[in-house]
Amino acid sequence: MADRPDLELIGVTKRFGAFTAVRDVSLAVEHGQFVCLLGPSGCGKTTTLRMIAGLEEVDAGEIRIAGVRVNERPPWQRDIAMMFQDFALFPHMTVARQVAFGLEMLRRPAAEIRRRVAETLGAFDIAAFADRKPDTLSGGQKQRVALARALITEPRILLLDEPIGSLDFSLREAVMLELRDVQRRLGISFVWVTHDQNEAFSLGDRVVVMTHARIEQVGTPEDIAERPRTRFVATFVQGTNVFDGTVERAEGDHVRVRTATGSFVVPARDGRPPDPGEAVSFSVRAALVTAQPGAEHVNQVGAVCHAVEYLGAIRRYDFRLVDGRSLKLEEFTGRGRRIAEGEAITLGWRVEDGVLHAPAEAPA
Amino acid sequence: MSPLRERAAVSYVLAAPGGLWMLVALVAPTLFIAWVSFWASRTFALSNALTLANYVKFFTRPAYVRVLGDTVEQAIVMMLITGVIGYAIAYFLVVHVRRPAFQLALFLLLVVPFWTSALIRTIAWIPFLGVNGVINQALLLLGIVDRPVEAFLFTRTGITLAQTSFYTLLATGPVVYTLRNIPRSLPEAAQCLHATPLRVFWRIVFPLTLPGVVIGQILVFLNVMADFATAQAIGGHKLAFLGNLVILLYESGQLTFAAVVGVLLMIAMLLGVAVLLKVVDIRRLGAP
Repeated sequence: MADRPDLELIGVTKRFGAFTAVRDVSLAVEHGQFVCLLGPSGCGKTTTLRMIAGLEEVDAGEIRIAGVRVNERPPWQRDIAMMFQDFALFPHMTVARQVAFGLEMLRRPAAEIRRRVAETLGAFDIAAFADRKPDTLSGGQKQRVALARALITEPRILLLDEPIGSLDFSLREAVMLELRDVQRRLGISFVWVTHDQNEAFSLGDRVVVMTHARIEQVGTPEDIAERPRTRFVATFVQGTNVFDGTVERAEGDHVRVRTATGSFVVPARDGRPPDPGEAVSFSVRAALVTAQPGAEHVNQVGAVCHAVEYLGAIRRYDFRLVDGRSLKLEEFTGRGRRIAEGEAITLGWRVEDGVLHAPAEAPA
Repeated sequence: MSPLRERAAVSYVLAAPGGLWMLVALVAPTLFIAWVSFWASRTFALSNALTLANYVKFFTRPAYVRVLGDTVEQAIVMMLITGVIGYAIAYFLVVHVRRPAFQLALFLLLVVPFWTSALIRTIAWIPFLGVNGVINQALLLLGIVDRPVEAFLFTRTGITLAQTSFYTLLATGPVVYTLRNIPRSLPEAAQCLHATPLRVFWRIVFPLTLPGVVIGQILVFLNVMADFATAQAIGGHKLAFLGNLVILLYESGQLTFAAVVGVLLMIAMLLGVAVLLKVVDIRRLGAP
C-alpha cells in the first residue's frame, strides 16, 4: 500500500455538453505530498478536484486512490475529505456537532466520537466555541472548524478548494502556514486548488499549472518559476519577461532568436532543435536581468525606465523597449543606485538565464 | 438590521395607517364577535347581560363537539397529506429539474389552476368524483374496480381529494424557497464526510427546510380550518366543519351561537399556529 501513490489520475477527461472542462489530465500524488493545482479561473482545476472527490463523474480515464480505481465510487465511499471555499459549515449545527458529523456517518461508537471530538476541538483551538453555531464565528474561526471537521475522520487525502480565498487578506499568511503545519504533522496528502501563485509556490511540494482544461507543467515551485515549460506558464508566473520571435539559426547548444527588439541567444531545449524560421518564445526572469551588463551578459537591449516600485527587500522596475513592450527587472535594494523614471539605459542577461519554451500544443 | 431605530417616533408614524386599518377592520370586529358570543339573549341589544351559558351549551352537545373534532382532524389529515406531497413536489422541482426554463414551466402548471376562482375549482371537482365521474370511469377502464366507487362524492374522502388539490401548492411554495436557499456545497460537504444521500437528506437538507415546511403547514392548517365551501359543494349537506356550522347558525338567526362557534374556531386556529411556531422560529427565515 505504501508503494502506491495516494492518488493517481490517468488520462482523466470531463465534458459538460460540448465544453471540455478537463482534458486528458494525468497526475500522481505521492503519500504525504502537498500538491497545488494552479491556474486561472475556468482552467479546469476545480472540476479536477471535484472529480477526485466524486462530486463529478469522470467521462474518460481513471482515478485511483491508494492504487484502487474509484471512478464508480460515490463521494461517501472515498477515503478523502474536502474543504470548500465557503467552508460549507452546516448552519443548523453547533461546532461540536459539525466536527462529530463525519465520525457519526462512519457509525463509530458514541464514546469514541465524544473522545475524538474533544481531542480535535482542542487540537484546532476551537473548544471555546464548541456550542456556538457557524453564523456567530469569524472567518478564521470558521476556517478552523471546517478543517477540524474534514480531518477528524483521518482521510488519506484532503482536497482544498481555494480554502483561504474567502478570508481577510491579513489572515491569509497565518492560515497558510497553519495549514502547511497541519499537513506536515499529520503526513496526509493535500491537493490544494488556487489561482494565487504565491499560495502555490509557498505551500506546494509540487505545483501543477493548468490552463484550458490541460496540465501545462508539473514541477517544484523552482521548476515552474525558473524553467517555465510553455509560454503560458511563463506569462502566468509573475516577474517573468516573455519574448516572441523567430529562430534565426541554431548555434550548437544555443538558438539565436530574432524579436522585434533585437536578436538574443537562448539555450536550446532538450530534444529536437527548432528549425530556422520557426516561431518560438522564450522567457527571462526579472530577477536575472541586470542594469549593469558586463561581458558575460551577451543579450543586451536598450530600454527606458517607465516605473519603479519599492517593495522593501527588492525594487521592481518596469522598463519600456523600443517597440513599447514592457521588460521587468528586480534587484535587491541594498545594491546599486535607483534608476530614475524616464532614464534610458542598457539592460542585459546571460545566455543561460533565458528559457526557450516548448512549442504550443495544437488544441485538440 | 432595519435602518430605523426601533423606538424612533417616525416608525410609529409609518405604522399608524396600517395599524389603524387593522384596528377598524380586524381587531374591532373580532372583539365584537367575542362580545356577542357571551350575550345572554339571542336578540340584538347593547345592554345584554353576559353569560358563559352559550359555551356550556356548545360543549354539552355531542353533535357540536364532534364537528369541532372533525374539523381539527381534517386539518391534521390535510397537513400530513399536503406536507408529504408538497415536499416531494418542491424537492423534485428544485433538485431534479436543473433547467430553469423547465422549472418555471412546471411551476406555472401548478399555479395556473389557481387563476380560476375557488368556487369554480370546487364545483369542477364534482364531475370528477361522482358515481359516473371521471375517476370512476378511469378506474373501470383500467380494470382496477368492477363497479363504480361511491366513496368519492358526498364523503370525507371526496373532500380530502379536492382539498389536496387546492392546498398542496401552499405546502410546496415555502419549501421551494427554503430548498433553493441551501448552497450546493452543504450537501456536497456532507457527502464528502461519508453521509449517504438518505442521511444527507435527514441530517442536512430537511432540517434546513424545516422553516419552509412549518410555514406551509400553517397556511394549510388555517385554510382547511376556515374552509366551508369544499365541504358544502362536495360533502353535500351530510358533512359539516366549524365553518359550515357558523353559516348554518347564522342563516337560522342564531347570532350568539354562531359567534360562539366563530370564537372557538378562532381559538383553535390560534392554538394550532402557536404549536407550529414552537417547532421553528420563522422570524429567522432568510437569515444567513
